[in-house]
Amino acid sequence: MSILQKIKNTVRSRSIHVSYVDVGSCNGCDIEVLACLAPRYDIEQYGIYVHNNPREADVLLVIGSVTPQWVDKLHDIWEKIPEPKVAVAIGNCPISGCVYNRRGTLTSPPVEKYIPIAAQVPGCPPRPTEILNAILSVAPLIFKDYEEKQP
Amino acid sequence: MRSIVYYLREFLRPEWIRKFFFAKTAPLETPSYFKDYPSLTGNECVACLSCMMICPAPDAIAVLRTRDGWEPEIYPGHCIRCGLCVEACPEAVLASGRILDVTARDGTALWSWYRLEIDDKICMRCGNCCVSCPVNREIDPQLAGSGTSSSDEVIMRVEAGRVRILHEEKCTGCKTCELNCPNRAIRVARMVEGVQIGEAEA
Repeated sequence: MSILQKIKNTVRSRSIHVSYVDVGSCNGCDIEVLACLAPRYDIEQYGIYVHNNPREADVLLVIGSVTPQWVDKLHDIWEKIPEPKVAVAIGNCPISGCVYNRRGTLTSPPVEKYIPIAAQVPGCPPRPTEILNAILSVAPLIFKDYEEKQP
Repeated sequence: MRSIVYYLREFLRPEWIRKFFFAKTAPLETPSYFKDYPSLTGNECVACLSCMMICPAPDAIAVLRTRDGWEPEIYPGHCIRCGLCVEACPEAVLASGRILDVTARDGTALWSWYRLEIDDKICMRCGNCCVSCPVNREIDPQLAGSGTSSSDEVIMRVEAGRVRILHEEKCTGCKTCELNCPNRAIRVARMVEGVQIGEAEA
């Protein structure tokens, strides 16, 4: 790896682009992700930029237990994200379905069945600091060899 | 001119430059009263399963057998951190945030009982519920096969052509009657109510 690539990797690891998708949750976790953007937690001071465009994203936050309508769309979104990419499951719903995982509900958790998940943040909802820590801890994994993975 | 010089000097201060580029607000600390996943206090679990019965999330808590007794286990991907298991536990086996302190200070508790309900429209008066009930059998061993009984102490008995519930409070919630009912006419429901010590006396 050349020195230039190393510098690029370092710089990139300080500018993480995040996109989030709600595949059928109660919106509680969405609000916690929004709270990360607020000055109290201020996600942008770590260089994490949340803008809902999968084509520019590095990290995809998946929120909610998967409803049947989302199965194909979630796959499309995941395909749109350029390599290298990771997905982080936010909250209990993508992990286990939480309170929606009952007889008679139209959900099919866990989300790992559809896209590969790199990290899970349990909680209903998780604290914004937990979400922040999860994104910051998966970021080195994707940016360690970002340059080599470039097509 | 003076102000320009002032600002240049101000912005060239090493401390200012350091703060401008590197200062971050420290990751906010979790407050001590945060209601996190329940942790064990070390008290002995008596396996009353109150925690499992009150838990609103599926598969979030299980009381497991260990080498020397029982122990509740919390599953983080399922637990919603509501803290009801901490409140419901009569032995204070679990602790989370300041729930135990607050319940001790306010003298609050969760009180539960079992409610029996018989749908007279579908009940066919076979008396299976009265006969199969283990509490009934203990109180009145002479309980007839038709469910009639001469004892007034039984939970329920067939009386004047229909099942009459006499002592609901004696029900232990085993649901044997539900299992033995041929057309699901009898229902056992666990009711939970929050009570405060002073309030109950008044």
